[in-house]
Amino acid sequence: MKKKVLIIGGVAAGTKTAAKAVREYPDVEVKVITEEEYVSYAGCGLPYYIGNVIKEKSHLTVMNPEKFKERKVEILLKHKAERIIPSEKRVIVKDLATGETKDFFYDKLVIATGAKPIVPPIPGADLKNVFKLRSIDDAVGIREQVEKHGVKKATVVGGGFIGLEVAENLTQQGVKVTLVELLDQILPNFDREIALLAQSYLEKKGITIFTGEKAVAIEGTDGKVTALVTDKRKIDTELVLLSIGVLPNTELAKEAGIELGVKGAIKVNEHMETNIPDIFAVGDCAENINLITNSPAWYPMGSTSNKMGRVAALNLFPKGEKDSLKGVLGTTVVKLFEMNAARTGLSERDAKALGYDYITVLVPANDRAHYYPGHKTIVTKLIVDKKTHRVLGGQVIGEGVVDKPIDIMATLITLKGTVEDLAKIDLAYAPPFSMALSSTIVAANVAVNKLTGRVEGISPISLKEKLGSPDLQIIDVRTEAEFLTGAIPGAKNIPLNELEKRAGEINRDKETILICKVGLRAYLAYRTLKHLGFENIKILDGGVTAWPFELE
Amino acid sequence: MKEIHIDAKCLQCPGPIVQLFNAIKSAEPGDVVVVEATDKGFYSDVQAWCKKTKNELLSLEDKGDVIVAKVKKV
Repeated sequence: MKKKVLIIGGVAAGTKTAAKAVREYPDVEVKVITEEEYVSYAGCGLPYYIGNVIKEKSHLTVMNPEKFKERKVEILLKHKAERIIPSEKRVIVKDLATGETKDFFYDKLVIATGAKPIVPPIPGADLKNVFKLRSIDDAVGIREQVEKHGVKKATVVGGGFIGLEVAENLTQQGVKVTLVELLDQILPNFDREIALLAQSYLEKKGITIFTGEKAVAIEGTDGKVTALVTDKRKIDTELVLLSIGVLPNTELAKEAGIELGVKGAIKVNEHMETNIPDIFAVGDCAENINLITNSPAWYPMGSTSNKMGRVAALNLFPKGEKDSLKGVLGTTVVKLFEMNAARTGLSERDAKALGYDYITVLVPANDRAHYYPGHKTIVTKLIVDKKTHRVLGGQVIGEGVVDKPIDIMATLITLKGTVEDLAKIDLAYAPPFSMALSSTIVAANVAVNKLTGRVEGISPISLKEKLGSPDLQIIDVRTEAEFLTGAIPGAKNIPLNELEKRAGEINRDKETILICKVGLRAYLAYRTLKHLGFENIKILDGGVTAWPFELE
Repeated sequence: MKEIHIDAKCLQCPGPIVQLFNAIKSAEPGDVVVVEATDKGFYSDVQAWCKKTKNELLSLEDKGDVIVAKVKKV
């Protein structure tokens, strides 16, 4: 008799496991059951369907059951797995179309039940025009409200990727969007100064953003939403999207006695095996390992799901050594209008919480040669371990190319490289692609300067907290012309070329912060003042360009 | 009254605003300085600068690759 592989869940990880399994084992029967109406759809593409960037619903599905059948994978739509009985290798499944209950037997079971959106327990969440975004139907529903019912005002609850991408897409469709985030910043996986740069950009694009604010109720009349109430205000709205996050969908696994880990995700080893023999788990429902800390973490990402699916498929009936996924870095990238943001590894917040002794740099640079048309500024942040000089994490934001730098960093971190390694990598260069010293290498060099004590810096967040202190003086070394375009509150202008002769105007007893546009002239000024015997001086990381607060 | 043209394309830090500043300094009141720049930051810089220095920003255009600003010395 043919061996049977049963896969529960048919989005990214489940279908990837199926596709790889039939390629590996032509004599094995592979079945996928899913309670949904669609299979193998592009969950990450849903915001772009709302914005009509992806025009047709059909373009969101990568594969359909017919195409899978040609490849000898049987897909059963609208089939809900109700119970797993590991001792009998049996799954009880309900056919949602007929109401009939069926038994499915397996030799190997793969759980790929994904994640589900968290619906906050607030009154009014069941009103019409209150949406979440996880399935194709959710996206269709939102787009219909805009295109057919003329919704002009929408409120998004949650400032993560999905919330922000929907906010962008609705804005592009002419909808006035307000976004409410419970935390004190949007983009929760990024550090605050990067998130603030993103926030001020989005505000310029017309999105109203309230952070540190809690949605407490949704009001409506005739069953339809009219307002979102927060702990600080009432926002009139015709549509609400609840996108406060997702949780692993693991009820089924839990009831079967499968061990759960971080955030309730299914515990798996590097081979995607659960604690019960012959049961695997992949995708958003399963746990990952953080490659830097080697501890369990949960990163629900389509990219990781596909890797997990491949690994599980290869390990169903392993020939020789088992395949492994050693861990991930939480690498992500997002596009919001013309601005891009990406991150990998540990954030500064993570590094601090884990007790690392680290330095950070914040370095604006061009994504391409400054004389090549179309170049854009990007800001790079690096987090580097002081002891080992290993790069712990990186973040990049700006209108330019950010995915290349973040992928360079992710590669370096995976291979456990140091910041000195990063500064010396032989990267591709021609003016249309990069600067002669790429932005990533420039940032690495600044980090080396800090690690070797050539310069000391202060982050914009730390400086903002100190503003107004009588023990602080801020010297802006840009030209007078630049100073007039906007300066940090309280700054005094002494252009770099006048610094030596005007050094007497600087009080040696105060903490002195040197500022320029990106950091280079402040570094030169730092060297000059050190030479003149000044001691308590720092430069502002990232200069005025990366300052995420108001200028005056 | 004359029009002064400045090509500030492809300038690194400190960039086009310094060129504008110097041109305005040596210009007569009523003269117009036209700056072409590729530095994207110039778009917001020139607005803030004119506001602060009280010179009149007659027009500001982002043509994609090039930003063109016309500033009248007051």
